Amino acid sequence: MTRNQAETKLQTTFNLSKFYDTQWEVIERVFNGERILLIEKTGFGKSLCYQFPATQFSGTTVIFSPLIALMRDQVNKLQQLGINAKCINSNQTSEENEQIIEEAKNNKIKILYIAPERMENVEWLQAAKTMNLSMVVVDEAHCISVWGHDFRPAFRRIINLVNLLPKNFPVLATTATATKRVEEDIKKQIGKNIASYRGNLIRDNLRLWVVHVESEDEKMIWLGKNLPNLTGSGIIYTGTQVNTEIYSKWFEYLNINSTFYNGGLDSETRQRVEEGLLNNSYKCVVSTNALGMGIDKPDIRFIIHTQIPVSPIHYYQEIGRAGRDGNPSNIILFYNKKDDLALPQAFIDGGRPPIKKYQRVINVLKRERLGRNGVIKKTNIKQTQINVILSDLIEQGIVNQVIEGRRKYYEYKFNAPELNTEPFETLRTAKQTDFAKMIEYAELTSCRMKFLCDFLGDDFSTTCGVCDNDRGKRLGITITNDWQNKLTDFRESYFPVLKVESRTSKIVNGIAASYYGVSNVGQALHNSKYQNGGDFPDWLLKLTLKAFRKHYGKERFDVVLYIPPTESGDLVKNFAQKIAKVLKFPISDGLKKTRVTDSQKIFQTGLLKRDNVKNAFTFEDANDLVGKSVLLVDDIYDSGATIKEVGRYLTKLGAIKIAPLIIAKTVGGDI
Amino acid sequence: MNKLQLSETPHWITIAHLPKWRTEQKNRLIVKIFHERESNFEEFFSLTQSEWIRDFGLTKKETYSLEKAKEEIPNNSFYAEDLISQGFEVIPINSKEFSNTLKKNLKVKHTPPVIYAKGNKQLLLENSIAIVGSRKASKTSLDFTDSIAKKASKEYKVVVSGFAKGVDRQALDSALKYNGQSIIVLPQGITTFKSGFKKYYKEIVEGNLLVLSTFHPRAKWSVGLAMARNPIIYGLANEIYVAESSQKGGTWEGVQDGLKKGRTIYVRYPNPKEKNANLLLIQKGAVGVDFKGDKVINGSYSAPEPVIEKLKEPATTPIKKEVELDNNSLFDLLKENAFSSKEIIKKLQLDWSSRKMTSYLKKLENIEVLKSKPLKFQLKNNSIKTLF
Repeated sequence: MTRNQAETKLQTTFNLSKFYDTQWEVIERVFNGERILLIEKTGFGKSLCYQFPATQFSGTTVIFSPLIALMRDQVNKLQQLGINAKCINSNQTSEENEQIIEEAKNNKIKILYIAPERMENVEWLQAAKTMNLSMVVVDEAHCISVWGHDFRPAFRRIINLVNLLPKNFPVLATTATATKRVEEDIKKQIGKNIASYRGNLIRDNLRLWVVHVESEDEKMIWLGKNLPNLTGSGIIYTGTQVNTEIYSKWFEYLNINSTFYNGGLDSETRQRVEEGLLNNSYKCVVSTNALGMGIDKPDIRFIIHTQIPVSPIHYYQEIGRAGRDGNPSNIILFYNKKDDLALPQAFIDGGRPPIKKYQRVINVLKRERLGRNGVIKKTNIKQTQINVILSDLIEQGIVNQVIEGRRKYYEYKFNAPELNTEPFETLRTAKQTDFAKMIEYAELTSCRMKFLCDFLGDDFSTTCGVCDNDRGKRLGITITNDWQNKLTDFRESYFPVLKVESRTSKIVNGIAASYYGVSNVGQALHNSKYQNGGDFPDWLLKLTLKAFRKHYGKERFDVVLYIPPTESGDLVKNFAQKIAKVLKFPISDGLKKTRVTDSQKIFQTGLLKRDNVKNAFTFEDANDLVGKSVLLVDDIYDSGATIKEVGRYLTKLGAIKIAPLIIAKTVGGDI
Repeated sequence: MNKLQLSETPHWITIAHLPKWRTEQKNRLIVKIFHERESNFEEFFSLTQSEWIRDFGLTKKETYSLEKAKEEIPNNSFYAEDLISQGFEVIPINSKEFSNTLKKNLKVKHTPPVIYAKGNKQLLLENSIAIVGSRKASKTSLDFTDSIAKKASKEYKVVVSGFAKGVDRQALDSALKYNGQSIIVLPQGITTFKSGFKKYYKEIVEGNLLVLSTFHPRAKWSVGLAMARNPIIYGLANEIYVAESSQKGGTWEGVQDGLKKGRTIYVRYPNPKEKNANLLLIQKGAVGVDFKGDKVINGSYSAPEPVIEKLKEPATTPIKKEVELDNNSLFDLLKENAFSSKEIIKKLQLDWSSRKMTSYLKKLENIEVLKSKPLKFQLKNNSIKTLF
């Protein structure tokens, strides 16, 4: 097909008149059965490089994409053009997915988007063995490289697949963010004479700023003051899940329309927030970096980081979500030289679990094959670490993942090599170097965009002219008493909600007086519990009662119960008695343990915590609770396993409402 | 397996299961591609149909089915990836890891182009024995099996069996019991052996067991596959022991086939009152053995002259005689120099007529006939020797 012929077809199928030169070069090579890596910034038109050939091939083009939102958008657009495109993902029902697989088998689908995790799905694999395949596309190809900002183990199987595909079968990999090193890594992994195209990555509509601050208070006050004055809507990235909530509540307190988003929310809520963001329902969404990848919103007008990211490539990727329409957008990084380096450093240090944990997993798998939960239970290693360990062990050919129907098992491989820790060290060193570059960015006095582009390996010789350094402008902060008071007032009236409701239990979402690590509450609890500091201090009582009133109002409860202790004696009992006395509710000492449980904090995983307290409680006079409402008091809320178990048990005894009241909620592993 | 072999796994799967192609036909093509042309599948499949016909001597019909097969390679890439990531290995016939014993025994005609396996592949290269027999074997036969497996394990020989009830399972269990090593040859596709992989997890992890199949990985068990599996068991073993056979069924057919192919087969010498076909097999040319595997020279009653001697089969030579011709020594001999039939008989110390040898040699595909007087024979080309 000549370019002219192709462009005629382009007009009729896509309503576009011309290809860019690079687009056509790539398309021509795709037709020729070549392998291409295309690195172009957001908005270049990468997808046309596979969508157009896909419409010309006789069979189906399969696109692996990790971003469900993006798949949905693309499919909608293609369907509007009358092209038969579908996607298979975990947000659809299995009936929907099966229906699509059936259509694909019958060669009715031109373009099929699937998530990389699908490569572990039996039905999909069966279908892939019978479909008429024309081309494979690896979208967000940086995910295949550990040197990139978003390595995903699920891509490993795609690499295996691509290596097995015949040499003359077209494969296109695309990404908007790849350093030279990532580019080389992708080329090496995809292999078979792959060629690459790299466009320039400068985004001159992004106005880069860095705001130097000395405390969390300064960030919050700056935002409180200035957020309403920023044009349009945008995203604020915080380093932790708990901060998404705290910042969002602070804006709420200031009547700024915002919400929070993080991986801990259920998928329904996340989808609602994503939609809200697209429809400009919020001034801003406060989020972890889970939000935004793949959201095709052209007019995100600002992106603010309250926490310095771990590398310039992460940063470039995250800010790249702003201003896709080409209009000016503000990009702000808060930088607290004193406190902000600890989090990324912890991220680098904790990138890999200790080697002895790897050995523990290897040892249990040598004895028996296990599912992931089985491995977690047998090793008492938490899920996030188990995921990393298993993924590394598979990568190194030490363990296989076997799929039987819906279940996955891990098997130790006979004659497996020894664990090689060298790649872990190399990677750690590289991450440390990248982090140093990110700090350099924050302290930079020259063009910030040029610095980022240089880091990415771009041949970009001029300056952007719009960053704070190029314009010689600074954003600063002055704190007034007025604002400091507002912040203090917010802190004393903000209480974390405990989400424990379930359909099968009469337990309701409870309230905690504070986060464990955020204020001095944690220190006070620790002092009483472990350093013989006596009863919990009265100011904790006051704070907890304040939380009660804010959450439960004037509600009356029939009885106050407290969780019987494992190791801290009568502290909780005494505390509950004081609460009951002030609120004038009857209290009962009837809740007991049927067996000795271990302290929950020694268990690294939710699964084991649940097992530890399962059926561990009893109530002396079982009939006493029929039709009663219960205020349930405890000191610390971690995984929620204990509270939920008691809720379940009391529901069984006939209680009509179980309302938790806790002193402090932990923020993931801080006790 | 080297990188190229691994990346051509989808091609191997495609070729191994080419519909309507005989095993020999597939193997001849493989020999042509890899040995005669020193090429590979990627290159082969990038050629045109007319190049296939011109350079590989393929027929129109063959090229047609290869064209169809070519379209399936991307699909088989998905398939191969799935197999490999689940810990299965696809071992092609030209791999160093492929069993030489199997190639030697089954030759170009019957050696499967790929083996699907899980476990300790090294076992394919070890000295091995097969123990076979009826699914409903007697206690004596099971004890014999146990005894032979024990001896084999002591001598570091791998016990090959077919995972059927009776003798097969006894052979496997005994080998493992005596800390020996074992190969299971499945009568089904390797991915359908789920409960087995669960049961023998530890043995596989510790390297004492290899499970293999030569059928399509998804093939379900069938009588046909169970029968087709027997020659593989025989082929993988350096020695074959039969614990018990009736006069029909898999073991019976398997031994017949083995004898026809010139294998030495050891059969448990039965007690006089046993109702099985063991003695009949001994009479047909198998070697009677006791519980230690030692040859029984005088049974409890004198064995009659082998029946086979009396049979005058028109087209074939007496099985007993052919047993003594080891093709490997023949090929070794003909690798370097060309010899006449008479010379060959003399060098290999055979009790054959020259005419019989000449007709035998002419039937062998890898033997070249040199036009001289008398006719001389030579191994066609050394590359074949490396594959078979």
